[in-house]
Amino acid sequence: MVRAYSQEHTYKHPWERVTAASWRKFADPESKSTLSHILEVDTLSRKLDRSSGKLYTSRAITIHAPGPWFVRKIVGQDICHCIESTVVDAKSRSMQIATRNISLDKFIEVEEKIRYDPHPENPKGWTVCSQETSIRIKPFSALASMAEKVEQRCVDKFQLNSVKGREVMERICNFLEAESTGISL
Amino acid sequence: MGIMGDKNRPSSSATSPCANFRTAYHNCFNRWYSDKFLKGQWDKMECVSEWDKYRECLSKHLDDKHLSRFLDADGVMDFNNPAQFKSASGVS
Repeated sequence: MVRAYSQEHTYKHPWERVTAASWRKFADPESKSTLSHILEVDTLSRKLDRSSGKLYTSRAITIHAPGPWFVRKIVGQDICHCIESTVVDAKSRSMQIATRNISLDKFIEVEEKIRYDPHPENPKGWTVCSQETSIRIKPFSALASMAEKVEQRCVDKFQLNSVKGREVMERICNFLEAESTGISL
Repeated sequence: MGIMGDKNRPSSSATSPCANFRTAYHNCFNRWYSDKFLKGQWDKMECVSEWDKYRECLSKHLDDKHLSRFLDADGVMDFNNPAQFKSASGVS
C-alpha cells in the first residue's frame, strides 16, 4: 500500500533567493536544532552542463529515524541513508529535488519530490514550492503486518519535518534578503 | 551527551572527519551559486580545489557501502530509473 500526500507553499521571495536558501538549509547552524533529525549531509557529485546552464547534484543525507521499539527490533537501526538528486535550470528558473532512501529499502520506500518555480502570479518576486511524498512499506517484509501503522507514523513525521523545513527556509530567505539590502539582522 | 534533550539520539557531536573540507566546499559553492551561476555565468564551475580536498577525504572515510558506489557515479541520478537505485532486493 502506498501512502502519498502533496503540499504547496508560496515563499514571498524571488526564485533565486529561495533556491540559494535551499542549498543552505541543512548546513545553517541555527537550523541544526530545528532539523535535528538530519545527521549528515555530504555532496557526492556535482556537474555543470555549460551549454544548457543546468546544474546536476547528488547528495547523501543521513537521517535519524527512530521508531517504536518493536520496529527497531525488526529493522535493526535508527539511522537511514538517503540520496538526494537535484537539477537546477537557471535558464528557465526551475529547481527539482528528488530524495529516496537507499538504506532500509528492504522494508520501506520513501520518495520525496520538491520543485521550486517562479510563482505564476508574481514570477519575479515569489516562488512556489510543490512537494510530493510517497511512503510504501514493502509487502512481504517483516514490517508488512504493521504497515498501515508505520506508514501513518511516517506521514505524520514527514509532515512535521516539512513544517520545520519551511520555517528554516523562511528564516534563511529573510537573512539573505537582509544581507542583499545591506541591513544586518 | 546528557545535556542534549533527546536522550536516544545518536551523538553527532563526534564530527564527521571531513566536516572542515565540507564546510569550505559548501561555502565556496554557495558564493559561486549566488554570485555567478544564478546571474547567468555558467561557463565554468569554480571551487575545484575545495572540491578535490573534500572529495579525497570522503573517499577515505565514506564507510557506508550503499553510499560508496555513488561516489563513482557520474552525473545525475535518474529517479525514474529504478535500476540506478535498487540494491539486490529484487522487488520492483
